[in-house]
Amino acid sequence: MAILELNNVTKTFGTGHKQVDALKETNFSAEQGELIAVIGPSGSGKSTFLTIAGGLQTPSSGGVLVKNQDLANLNEKKRSKVRLKEIGFILQASNLVPFLNVDNQMKLLDNVKKDNMTTEELDALYDNLGIKDLRKKYPADLSGGERQRVAIAKALYSKPSILLADEPTASLDSEKAYEVMELLKKETKQNKTTTIVVTHDTRLIEYCDKVYEMTDGVLRLMEKSSVK
Amino acid sequence: MFLAWNEMKKNKLRFTLIVGVLMLVSYLVFFLSGLATGLASLNREAVDKWGATAIILTEESDKSLPQSSLTTEELDAISENKTAILGQLNSIATNGEAKQNISLFGIDPEEFIMPDVTEGEVFSEVNEVIASDTLKEDGFKLGDELELSSTDEKLTIVGFTDSARFNAAPVLYGEIDTFHKIKFGEAATENETQINGIVVRAGDLSSISTSNEDLEIIEIETFIENLPGYTEQALTLNFMIYFLFAISSVIVAIFLYVLTVQKISMFGVMKAQGISNGYLSRSVIAQTFLLAFTGVVVGFALTLISGAFLPSAVPVSFDIFTMIIYGVVLITVAILGAVFSVLTIVKIDPLKAIGG
Ligand SMILES: Nc1ncnc2c1ncn2[C@@H]1O[C@H](COP(=O)(O)OP(=O)(O)OP(=O)(O)O)[C@@H](O)[C@H]1O
Ligand SMILES: [Mg+2]
Repeated sequence: MAILELNNVTKTFGTGHKQVDALKETNFSAEQGELIAVIGPSGSGKSTFLTIAGGLQTPSSGGVLVKNQDLANLNEKKRSKVRLKEIGFILQASNLVPFLNVDNQMKLLDNVKKDNMTTEELDALYDNLGIKDLRKKYPADLSGGERQRVAIAKALYSKPSILLADEPTASLDSEKAYEVMELLKKETKQNKTTTIVVTHDTRLIEYCDKVYEMTDGVLRLMEKSSVK
Repeated sequence: MFLAWNEMKKNKLRFTLIVGVLMLVSYLVFFLSGLATGLASLNREAVDKWGATAIILTEESDKSLPQSSLTTEELDAISENKTAILGQLNSIATNGEAKQNISLFGIDPEEFIMPDVTEGEVFSEVNEVIASDTLKEDGFKLGDELELSSTDEKLTIVGFTDSARFNAAPVLYGEIDTFHKIKFGEAATENETQINGIVVRAGDLSSISTSNEDLEIIEIETFIENLPGYTEQALTLNFMIYFLFAISSVIVAIFLYVLTVQKISMFGVMKAQGISNGYLSRSVIAQTFLLAFTGVVVGFALTLISGAFLPSAVPVSFDIFTMIIYGVVLITVAILGAVFSVLTIVKIDPLKAIGG
């Protein structure tokens, strides 16, 4: 069963001669435990694709099914609930709350949602991500890579079925970028999430199960070996 | 509460400053209210002590006690029997050293406006008086012989009663005959039925009536409002207090709004994550409540402390009940100021906040 499905999704911004077709007739589906990369040039529609898949905006036409529930027909309040329950975001810029220490970043979610990771699961996650000693630190006192790993922990803490990452390695050097991809792969397999990573960096696709390329709003599945 | 509390813990200086501003505003409000109560009681204290329903004066006196002149015969024309006669005059009293404006109340000690004596004894002869104990601070004491500016008669303080002032002047209570002697001198006996007004205590204002058309029945509160300067003072101070309420709400609104605007992208990220507007708004409201509550409580304490150190010449008197009401209003008004921030949060588009 597909966890995430996009059926004939289009997204158009503006009207008349200012009209931009950010997404053209996009069909996509992803299964549990899959790590998927989306690559493509700047302005091709990658972020638009990701945010529509994550229910942050609605498509101009077509359907977005998260666990068979169509997000396109839901209002923002209901989509917000789906995001809380099913979706984890990892963003390019830090998505941490500056005045909460690492532990409290997780605890915040306990305030708004049930069924998050248990203490043992969280400890194991911290271990995996190598951030066990950072629990009491605030985001400002972390390095870029540490912050990104905490952001991953935060996204995974709510046990989402879908993990969406937009350029999660952009602020990291390639060494660290590989590390983060390695972690994402491990967590995806372990927790059976569906993970989509948008990236510029074609070297990172070797960690992924499938690779899609976005060009001018057209999404196309690629042979991994054909990517140079 | 989790977010609100952790944010304040992390940014102590910032939030201490906001609490400081709120504290100063509430300090000012409380102090002004103390001043308003103090100035009011300066004028009305002695009248409040009567516990009366109404006062009957002549129509032509236009609600002014010193200008009203009637005789005890008018008592027959009044429906209620719980009455007290009152003769009143203003003078300047001196014991040789201290000098003070006073208001003399000539009364019948058997009637209900007779005050309780807290020190010394009740007057038993003509020219003996009991005095408002505020005169003690002005340098008067038990047994003092008082010379009055308007007469050769001398008064003796034989007792004190709790703070009693009428139109800012401490009150001396004496026999109605004492009043006659001072007011009319040689002609006292011819004028022995002359009084300024009749104070009436009744269950209900409507049960008081008089068959004499030249007399006016004035409700006590109306009488007080017509004391010279009373309403003007009260209006001025209350206006300042209401203005401060408005200002503090705007100040809080601006502070919180600036804080909220700084955190727009953070709120956006949380909203992208699926954290609801309701949760974030409640957090801002809870934070405002904590800030305002702390500010008001500290301001309250500070007011009482500095009130205790003020020279007695400053007419402040703190009415705790009024202060609590004003405190609640300040907190409410601060929370209203947070509404702008809540609106801002609701309008944040999570998509814009996370960029892409
Ligand atoms: N809110 C918007 N209003 C108007 N046009 C938009 C909006 N969002 C995106 N676009 C346009 O849609 C197209 C796709 O944008 P998108 O952000 O998806 O690109 P991207 O592939 O993520 O680029 P990058 O790699 O630079 O992040 C671009 O031409 C962009 O200008
Ligand atoms: Mg993008």
